[in-house]
Amino acid sequence: MDTTSPRLRMSLLGVIVIGCFVALFARLWYLQVMEAPALAVQASVNRTRTIATEAPRGRIFDAKGRVIVDNRTSLIVSIDRNQLSKVADRNDLIARLADVLTANGVPIKISTIEKRLADKRADQLGLVSIATDVTEEVIHHLSEYAEDFPSVSFERKTVRVYPYGTAAANILGYTGRITAESLKSLEPGTDPDGVVKEYQADSIVGLAGVEKVYETELRGTPGIERVQVDYRNRPVGTESYQPPKSGNDIQLHIDIDVQIRAEQSLVDRLAVLRGTPQRDGAIRAAPAGSVVVLDPQTGGVVALATAPSYDPQEFANGLSQERYEQLQNVNGASALIDRSITGQYAPGSTFKLVTAAAALSNGLIDANSSIYDDGVYTVGNPEQTFQNAGKQKNGTINLVRALTVSSDVYFYWLGDRMDGSTLIQDSATAFGFDKKTGIDLPNESAGYVLTKAEKKALHTKYPTAYPNGDWYTGDNVQLAVGQNVIVVTPLQLARAYATLANGGTVYQPQILWKVLTPNANLSNPDDVLRVVDPLVTGTVTLPADVRGPIISGLEGVTSGAGTASSAFVTFDQRAFPIVGKTGTAQVDGKADTSLFASYGPANAPRWVVTAVMEESGFGAEAAGEVTRRVYEILANQTLTDAGAATTGTRD
Amino acid sequence: MLQHSISTRDSRMSRRDPSAPLRHVDPVLIGCTIILCIVGVVSVYSSTRGPGPVFSKSYLIKQSMFMVIGAGVLVVFAAVDYRKLHDWAWAFYGVTTAMLVLVVSPLGSQSNGAQSWFALGPFQLQPAEFAKLSLIGVLSFLLSEFRGDIDVRRLLALLGTAAVPMALIMLQPDLGLTLILVVIAMAILLVGGLPTKYIVVLTLVGVIGVVGALNSPVLAEYQRNRLTAFVNPADKSNKALYNIEQSQQAIANGRISGQGLFDGPQTKLGFVPEQETDFIFTAVAEQFGFIGSSLVLLLYGLLCYRIWRTAQVAKDSFGTYVCVGVLAMFAFSAFENVGMAMGIMPVTGIPLLLISAGGSSTITALAALGLVLNVHMRRFQ
Repeated sequence: MDTTSPRLRMSLLGVIVIGCFVALFARLWYLQVMEAPALAVQASVNRTRTIATEAPRGRIFDAKGRVIVDNRTSLIVSIDRNQLSKVADRNDLIARLADVLTANGVPIKISTIEKRLADKRADQLGLVSIATDVTEEVIHHLSEYAEDFPSVSFERKTVRVYPYGTAAANILGYTGRITAESLKSLEPGTDPDGVVKEYQADSIVGLAGVEKVYETELRGTPGIERVQVDYRNRPVGTESYQPPKSGNDIQLHIDIDVQIRAEQSLVDRLAVLRGTPQRDGAIRAAPAGSVVVLDPQTGGVVALATAPSYDPQEFANGLSQERYEQLQNVNGASALIDRSITGQYAPGSTFKLVTAAAALSNGLIDANSSIYDDGVYTVGNPEQTFQNAGKQKNGTINLVRALTVSSDVYFYWLGDRMDGSTLIQDSATAFGFDKKTGIDLPNESAGYVLTKAEKKALHTKYPTAYPNGDWYTGDNVQLAVGQNVIVVTPLQLARAYATLANGGTVYQPQILWKVLTPNANLSNPDDVLRVVDPLVTGTVTLPADVRGPIISGLEGVTSGAGTASSAFVTFDQRAFPIVGKTGTAQVDGKADTSLFASYGPANAPRWVVTAVMEESGFGAEAAGEVTRRVYEILANQTLTDAGAATTGTRD
Repeated sequence: MLQHSISTRDSRMSRRDPSAPLRHVDPVLIGCTIILCIVGVVSVYSSTRGPGPVFSKSYLIKQSMFMVIGAGVLVVFAAVDYRKLHDWAWAFYGVTTAMLVLVVSPLGSQSNGAQSWFALGPFQLQPAEFAKLSLIGVLSFLLSEFRGDIDVRRLLALLGTAAVPMALIMLQPDLGLTLILVVIAMAILLVGGLPTKYIVVLTLVGVIGVVGALNSPVLAEYQRNRLTAFVNPADKSNKALYNIEQSQQAIANGRISGQGLFDGPQTKLGFVPEQETDFIFTAVAEQFGFIGSSLVLLLYGLLCYRIWRTAQVAKDSFGTYVCVGVLAMFAFSAFENVGMAMGIMPVTGIPLLLISAGGSSTITALAALGLVLNVHMRRFQ
């Protein structure tokens, strides 16, 4: 065969050309038909950018319908970094902008603007915010002379505002820019229309307190604009736009008047006591404390005060390391802890409620069982001696008297008699100690009430921290008066007294009362999306022969021979009788922890108030005083409510 | 009336002379050419008019003008008997070679790192495009003279003739056009009766040459990257890949029926570079989809078939070789240009003839088609 034949060679050429075209068709089919969906998605990602506008968060109301967290509009001036790089007189522009801002009430230096421009963080389209909260005059000027300010733009953003300042900061928490980890892990909620409230890198989220816990309710639905951009990332048109929608409003059980009173009383009293000597001469450092006010009939949290506290606004604007360290040591205590739910203290004599209930319920004593109290109690082998505060001799006393005058000896005796059992621990557990209350706030502590077995287990696990694993009679004796093997949170203590007040129901303390529609009108029942029902987590059996003697004993505390009578001298208990118990818990080498736990009015319990103050001395003189001041406002409210005969706001 | 008189005159003429060239023009080839030119002008406009609202028409006007000039050149190249052009092959070769020398001298202008054109007012004249045609002419001339009797001396003469413009174009440098010249030369030599042993040897030399070039400092880094990007698509450091990725996404975005004229977002927003020239196929594919772009490829295929057919039926070997050269030019341009846009061929700047924007390439392509028509018309004379 002639391999040089033109006919053969032409055929060969034809085959090659056909091969080339077949290859092209195959590839075209692959790209446009087989792989098209995947590649087209990539292409679409390339040429669209999503611009999210944060929607206003829901407002927060207190129990009486007052707005305690609101929103306001902040005017923000921004520079588009991409555009700025193309501006010929860049430096002049920045100088002009600084002049305009400064001349219109927003003093700013050129160097500050440069610093912000150099910040790597910018939003998706390269907008860098230069000045926040600028005046309307600035906006007027910039709009009027827009051609002099290329790349400069302004926008209105909503930011949180607190009409009551720092009040309830520990409850409300604060908001801030989402962290990189949260962006990955945080589950976005849906709004009432079922739209997912997706997060973006510059989303504002609740970082503490109610803002954090109810993030899914409070967060608004961001406005989502999908813009088409060209290859230089310049927007050329809008593909879709979903306008922002406000988040749900919420209403709390918190009463801002009571909250403010509790905070103020606490801070004032700590300041008065600070540096003074207590009865045994130890100097009161009085660094910190907390107040809890509960509704014993629902578990609703009316107030949670903690001192020292902080201004959440500082966090919103970004805290310096220096300021952060300052906040961790205010008068020797950290301002960043909410002591009402996180602080753990020996309850001291306030715990006698639990011991008394254990002894009465189990038939160890009755209302008339008496002993002779000579101020000292000796137990066990090796022998241990315990005494009343100040070795006070109370003579022959029964349970009622022992509670009123706070006879430790009577309770040492009870502790001695119940040694070998877990009757006190069981009673404590029933009242809700030794576990978290489940309050709807982050970082709650559980406290502990040790049993013999638990003490042993602790020693085995941490031999250095707990050098002694044996359970002595002395341990049970001290447990009976709330010392040594027990710590509780102020909230747990308040709940135990709420249980006594309501006759034995253990409620989960709750901050949230109602979830409302966005921009709700409180007088319109249709605007209530849901009401949080009281949540019962347990019951304590408190028949009359158990509850009666305890209440009798505690009723006497704030009057006559009672341990807190001095603190309540000025308080009119005829209309508003108070059932309460002082506590003075010893802390090695420091002044005592002062505690007071109570409810009122005795005949129709409506409020539980407890105060716990660190290194502040005797129960009555610190915690008792603060509690009384809170009752002053509560009693006033009770009388007003009775006069108006309205039950509408709290049903 | 007028139509009638023309047809009578035609029929009279053909009755007189059944071999008259005008009786044997190839309507399919002309039809394909016209449609491709229209697709080209539309595609060039769609990829250069900008995002609006005021659309730029400068490319549209320029390209239309080139088409008109090209049509005139086509008529000239078709009208003058190609056997007379045969005698002008060397002169044409000489002129283009001289221009190729001048263009790398300070007289030429530079863009994108290649000194490849003369500035003529608002136009750019690219002599390398014309060199394609002159190479076809001179190689066809030589091979038709040799009548299939090729020894080493004659082979060297052929190779030397082809190597001069190739070397000059490599000086610019323009890898894509050099490659086209190589393919044209190979096709003409193949059909021109080059003994099989020489073909084997030349192929081996070519393969070794390509491998050697890729591993030697002859090619600049960017050239090597462009050439190898399609082989190794996972190499993220390779910037040429971005273009190919964008181009493939744009093509995929066309799906089956296309995004519609002027509605290709990838095209419109400028994600694909060099869109009116090297990557024009992405604009076609995104706007007209698989249906439209495969039709364009089919038209190309049909055009190639008609050229191949003309090569078969040509009256003499010179006509055959010219057609083979033109066939190689069209087929390889399409394969390389479209293949590059789809990521199966190396990135080299080769225009998609008749569709890509560009005066020199369009006019050359139309002139070449004029020659094919010329051969076809005169196959009985």
